[in-house]
Amino acid sequence: MLDYMQFVLAPQMLNGFAFGIAIVLMALGLTIIFGLLDVINMSHGEFFAIGAYAGVVLLASGVNFWVAVALVPLLMLPVGVLTERLLVRQVFDSADRHTLTLLLTLGLSMIFYDGLKMVFGPNPLRPDNPIPGGIEVAGVFLPAYRMFLIFLGAAIIAAVWAIIYKTSLGAMIRAAAFDRNMASSLGVPVSAVYSATFAFGTALAGLAGILLAPIFSVFPTMGHEFIVIAFTVVIVGGMGSIKGAVLAGLLLTQVQAIASLIISPVWTDPILFGIMVLVLMFRPQGLFGRLGHG
Amino acid sequence: MIRNSTLIAKLAVAATLLGTTAAVAQDIKVGALPPFTGPFASIGQVIKVALDMRAAEINAAGGIMGRKVVLVYEDGESNPATATQRAEKLFQVDKVDFLTGTVHSGLTLAVGQVAERNNRLLATTVSFSNAITGDRCSPNVFRVNPSAGMQASALALWAADFKKGAKVYYLGPDYEMGRSTIAEFKKEAEKLGATTAGEVYAPLGAKDYSQFFGQMRAARPDVLYMSTGGTDSVRLLSQLKEYGLTNMKLIGNSAAVTSDNLDAMGNAAEGFITSGNYSTLIDTPANKVFAEKFKAAAKIEANLYAADTYTVLDFYKAAVEKAGSVDADKVRAAMRGLAWDGVAGKKVMRAGDHQAIQDMYALELKGKTYHPLAKVDGEKAAGPDLCTKW
Amino acid sequence: MADDGSVTTSAPRSAGATAAVRAYAQERIEWRALNIASIVFFAGAVAFGVAYGLKGDTFYLRLATEALIFGAVALSVDILLGFAGLLSLGQALYFGLGAYAGALVLKQVSESFWLVMGVSILVGVLSGLIGGLIAIRARGVYFALITYGLAQIVAKVIYNTRELGASDGITGIPIVNVSFGFWQTKADNPAGFFFVVLAVIAIIYLGLLYLSGTPFGRALSGVRINENRMPFLGYRPDRLKLAAFVLASTIASIAGGLYPMLRGFVSPELMYFDASTNAIVATMIGGTGTLIGPLYGSVILVFLKSMIGTITTHQIMVIGALFMIVVIFFPRGLLGYLREIVVARSRTKDGGGP
Repeated sequence: MLDYMQFVLAPQMLNGFAFGIAIVLMALGLTIIFGLLDVINMSHGEFFAIGAYAGVVLLASGVNFWVAVALVPLLMLPVGVLTERLLVRQVFDSADRHTLTLLLTLGLSMIFYDGLKMVFGPNPLRPDNPIPGGIEVAGVFLPAYRMFLIFLGAAIIAAVWAIIYKTSLGAMIRAAAFDRNMASSLGVPVSAVYSATFAFGTALAGLAGILLAPIFSVFPTMGHEFIVIAFTVVIVGGMGSIKGAVLAGLLLTQVQAIASLIISPVWTDPILFGIMVLVLMFRPQGLFGRLGHG
Repeated sequence: MIRNSTLIAKLAVAATLLGTTAAVAQDIKVGALPPFTGPFASIGQVIKVALDMRAAEINAAGGIMGRKVVLVYEDGESNPATATQRAEKLFQVDKVDFLTGTVHSGLTLAVGQVAERNNRLLATTVSFSNAITGDRCSPNVFRVNPSAGMQASALALWAADFKKGAKVYYLGPDYEMGRSTIAEFKKEAEKLGATTAGEVYAPLGAKDYSQFFGQMRAARPDVLYMSTGGTDSVRLLSQLKEYGLTNMKLIGNSAAVTSDNLDAMGNAAEGFITSGNYSTLIDTPANKVFAEKFKAAAKIEANLYAADTYTVLDFYKAAVEKAGSVDADKVRAAMRGLAWDGVAGKKVMRAGDHQAIQDMYALELKGKTYHPLAKVDGEKAAGPDLCTKW
Repeated sequence: MADDGSVTTSAPRSAGATAAVRAYAQERIEWRALNIASIVFFAGAVAFGVAYGLKGDTFYLRLATEALIFGAVALSVDILLGFAGLLSLGQALYFGLGAYAGALVLKQVSESFWLVMGVSILVGVLSGLIGGLIAIRARGVYFALITYGLAQIVAKVIYNTRELGASDGITGIPIVNVSFGFWQTKADNPAGFFFVVLAVIAIIYLGLLYLSGTPFGRALSGVRINENRMPFLGYRPDRLKLAAFVLASTIASIAGGLYPMLRGFVSPELMYFDASTNAIVATMIGGTGTLIGPLYGSVILVFLKSMIGTITTHQIMVIGALFMIVVIFFPRGLLGYLREIVVARSRTKDGGGP
């Protein structure tokens, strides 16, 4: 029993935690974009993939991994600004905003997917693990890069939280999310704030892309595969809630990790979707509410 | 005068065009439905290179019965709903005489039924599922590549020598190919005295395999059998290495580690053992030429998909020439029991279930290349014919 | 931000009685335009069926049959989106359930067309009741996400159920005989089965057209325009929405029942998100809230996809671009524009509108 706790349950929960942080990194951008712009961004998964591929290109051209990690989010900023200005804004004021932006970003994601496949080919790529090896604590092996990801991820989450809740940009974002018209009449440059927020969310997706590339590998359909769980996390946590995305991300990956010990892992996906449906039924605003609200 | 000469030129062009149309009517059309999009796109790319290469060679050597081979591609997309519609287009509009290039097993089964209802023939060069030449066999469907069962028994015969009473842990994806290859190998391996340390199925496209490592470590297996493919294998093997789980022998089905996903694994797959009918090192004159030519065209080493897809056109050519016609019934009769030279040795199409029989090898991965370890007789690996439809 | 606030694009509402009369008159003109479009559609379909049937064609007739079947799914999306204002991201679920039910009936119970139709209606009603009771609790975008989640769960369960063929799906579905007493045909007769499916779609379409004129249809539009006001008029919006949901799922399920007869197989991919979005895009191309539009949209989308797939292997990119062009430049769809043109004309004839 103790053996089981030490060699199966504990590492399982720790691995789940590292994976949870990875998912939270992706979900953060998604939840911020939804919280402020009320837009379901279906191309978020492809932004994640573009970040990963940008990382692969930088690394292949001899750039140091850590420099690439710093560069990729910056490269993603114009992608986000252009997407918001040229596309999302076209239909933003329509009454069917949800439907139209959803289909618009879905179309965009298809173009990005096919474009990535055209440029990089269908075969998977993977940058080398920058911190191989690991440490053994009480007989449990902890890979160094995952431990690093947990700490860096926590730092990024804290930074995002600080930007949203402690800076004037964050105050403007929250004000615009709470009431766009009021914020505008109080002198908040709502239009610029929207672009900045979209770009910020895109940069976060790109950052997640390069950070996760060494352990999850890089391939054209990767965005499609990750977006589903990121969406589930965002919905359960409350669309637009940073706290919600973090807690739901960690919670759902723990559910997944522990459930896969008890029942066949193939049922973990239906369980996660089941949780999502239950949350939508009984607490549609998510477990932790929305951005700018409370 | 000038006008006249333009008119004559135009007539000449028209005549040439007519000439080409007449020639087109004589062509033999081969349809192909590889996945160019979706999770199997990397296999689709290999299929296209191999088919294009072989068709060009056959045409350069005079075609099939003096007729040129023309390939018509449609994207199979790994979606049976799309693929059946496109297969119908290939049969009805493009009037292809023969169809190949399907990957996804469910898609091969569904498209095989379309072939049956259009009275045309299909040969798969990639799909593993035993059902295709087993309980869901079709008189119009042939399989050029080894089935899951053939691979499993070949690998089990080799594994018997590895260690008596070896503890094997099984990990595979939750779709039919993954499940059937594990079931087949397990059956064969247990017959030979291996024991099962654990068995787990992960969702196709699982992101993080580390969640299975705790159980795996606790079970202390000697051997890990994996039936993942594509990017799943990349994640599984690189994460195993990340977690330092390197003290097990890695074995698996032949789709797990191939030249199209190998580059992404670094050296995480070093020493991986599988079974198959192809390696670039199998010493035949045809293989030497093929392996080099394919590598130059595709930028990756030739793999099992490349070799079997390349040879499907030889199979079709031999059958058409034997039948003296492209008529489906006559070609089917010719295909049954047909023996032809594949890239890496002789193949025989078994008449009873339409499964090609060929010698199998246990293969070990060293660097980027599979090295043959032991040869297993094809008949022995194939086992009995289980198809009862004809 | 409003999650459920959608303002109608047609029929300007105003307090004055004359305005109401004018709005009513305009609506009649709009429906007349749509009726002409639907006559053109069905007459065109019959002409196509006869012409290609005489030609002995197979592929295009069967492709058109498939377009009609998917058209019914798009129609069901339109009932929810165009009338009740509910975006379903999981309509393929009910299509898939009907398809699996049909496949199982044909393979294991009886090779009866009518039994399949009966069973798929039953499956559609029951699954729609369950799905509807779960989904209509949520509003706006949350409704959309719940329908998405439900479809994912069921597709995954079927994918993992070996008794239902798991990821390989079910093949070997027999070719069914369709008998109307005075006339009969087989599902593998391209022209014959095309007309069978056309008849089913026509019945569904006429039924919906009738319903849209009844108090139920008008009340449903009321839910879309202003759900909160409906209780004051004596309606219970939840019941109306549930009724619309069940209606939509039943139509999708009937379409599903026809699919295995046409293609001879079913697989979990039929329920995937791609299939649901295709139905939405077909509705958008044709024109949301027009009923006939989704059928046009489905024909356009199915034929376009088939053509693009032959021309380029980058069809995903082309389809993605099509989505974006439709959303940005033609959000009201083909029939939406036709309707606008007709209304604008009638206004100039009447000597100018408001």
